[in-house]
Amino acid sequence: MGGKATRESRARDRIRAQREADRKRHERRRIVTYALAAVVAVAAVAGGWLYAANQSQSETASGKVAPVTLQPDGSVVMAQPGVEKPVLDIYEDFQCPACKALEETSGTTVKNLAAEGQVKVVFHPITIFSAEPTKSNSVRAGAAARCVPSGQWLAYHDKLFAGQPSEAVEGFKLDELVAWGKEVGVTSPDFDKCVTSQEHAALQGDYTAKVLKQGVVRGTPTVILNGKELGDEAFSPSQLRKAVLDASK
Amino acid sequence: MLVTSDQTAPLRSRNARMALPWVTTAARLVVAGVLIVAGWLKIGNPVLSVHAVEAYELLPGSVATAVGYGLPILEIVVGVLLVVGLLTRVAGIVAALLMLAFVIGIASAWARGLRIDCGCFGGGGQLASGQDPSYFWEIVRDAGIFLLAGWVVWFPPGRLALDSALGLAPEREPYDPEFEHDEVDDGGAEASQNKGSD
Repeated sequence: MGGKATRESRARDRIRAQREADRKRHERRRIVTYALAAVVAVAAVAGGWLYAANQSQSETASGKVAPVTLQPDGSVVMAQPGVEKPVLDIYEDFQCPACKALEETSGTTVKNLAAEGQVKVVFHPITIFSAEPTKSNSVRAGAAARCVPSGQWLAYHDKLFAGQPSEAVEGFKLDELVAWGKEVGVTSPDFDKCVTSQEHAALQGDYTAKVLKQGVVRGTPTVILNGKELGDEAFSPSQLRKAVLDASK
Repeated sequence: MLVTSDQTAPLRSRNARMALPWVTTAARLVVAGVLIVAGWLKIGNPVLSVHAVEAYELLPGSVATAVGYGLPILEIVVGVLLVVGLLTRVAGIVAALLMLAFVIGIASAWARGLRIDCGCFGGGGQLASGQDPSYFWEIVRDAGIFLLAGWVVWFPPGRLALDSALGLAPEREPYDPEFEHDEVDDGGAEASQNKGSD
């Protein structure tokens, strides 16, 4: 740009500078667009993440629990006296990991709703597995649960899910099943023998066969509200609560 | 000002030049399709998604939970980016890394004898009774998707891509660098940027 430069060289410089400026402008716009798109994409992922975490938020246990009654057919009812509807049927297998996930996420909501008298809950412990070791694990646990009196049944039920073995190993061993009964306060003298002799193993199998014959259960867990199967909302405590409250209107 | 060299190009090179971006587009759509379906099937049930991640027993509890919540939405967002061809190279890299992680996870589960549903397409852990996990085919599938994602990373953004429309495409279409280099003078960067937005 000095005075000594020729006209031609000034023109070349000007063109060069112009090109440089254009290039910078393009580059700036490119960076801004790129960053904007990236920010939107990251925000979408973060938003979805938060929503998912929020949907899966469990309720806190109210501490109150509705009375539990063992039914002759092998199902277990949890409801306040006189509450007959809506009915929430829960078909579950103590060995099934998805059932454990359901219990961990929505278990307190189910208990709270029953305690509030909003719903009659019917547990159906079945054995969905047909391969080993999962089948025998499930039968042992299911049979043991049938030895537990109604006062401790719910606590034992939760204990079984908490102690669920991996699907690849033999678990729910008899001594464990006896010990967990003691831990939840089972005092009946017959309990040990009932568990170790697997007195109710056949009943567990029969009840499973009966349930599967009805054709409403294709896998576990299956959650049915007033005869209508719940899908993913069963796994979202807030949606489950809403579904139950809507059903009782 | 913009010098196009199509006229002088040898026919074969020209055909390749025409075809390659479409291959990228096809690869984008296949990878995106798999990711979106996989994400969509999982996104309604974050609890099972978390469970599916935990089943691999590779990540510590809280990390597995975070990954389980985030994976479905990440798969969908990356899939959508690939469909529209926005941030193509970055999306391709993320897709390739995801597939690599899946291959490692499944292979490791296989090696350890874990009997799990891969959870790839939702419903993790709900392996029906008597159903065996087909680890081999899951690995083959994910490795194939990995290669396609690799193609997208190598040759972005392909045809019908927002990256081109918005001028975000790489400075030069990289599959035939020689080709333009000869023809374009020192205004090359600008020329190819103009080209990107046509």
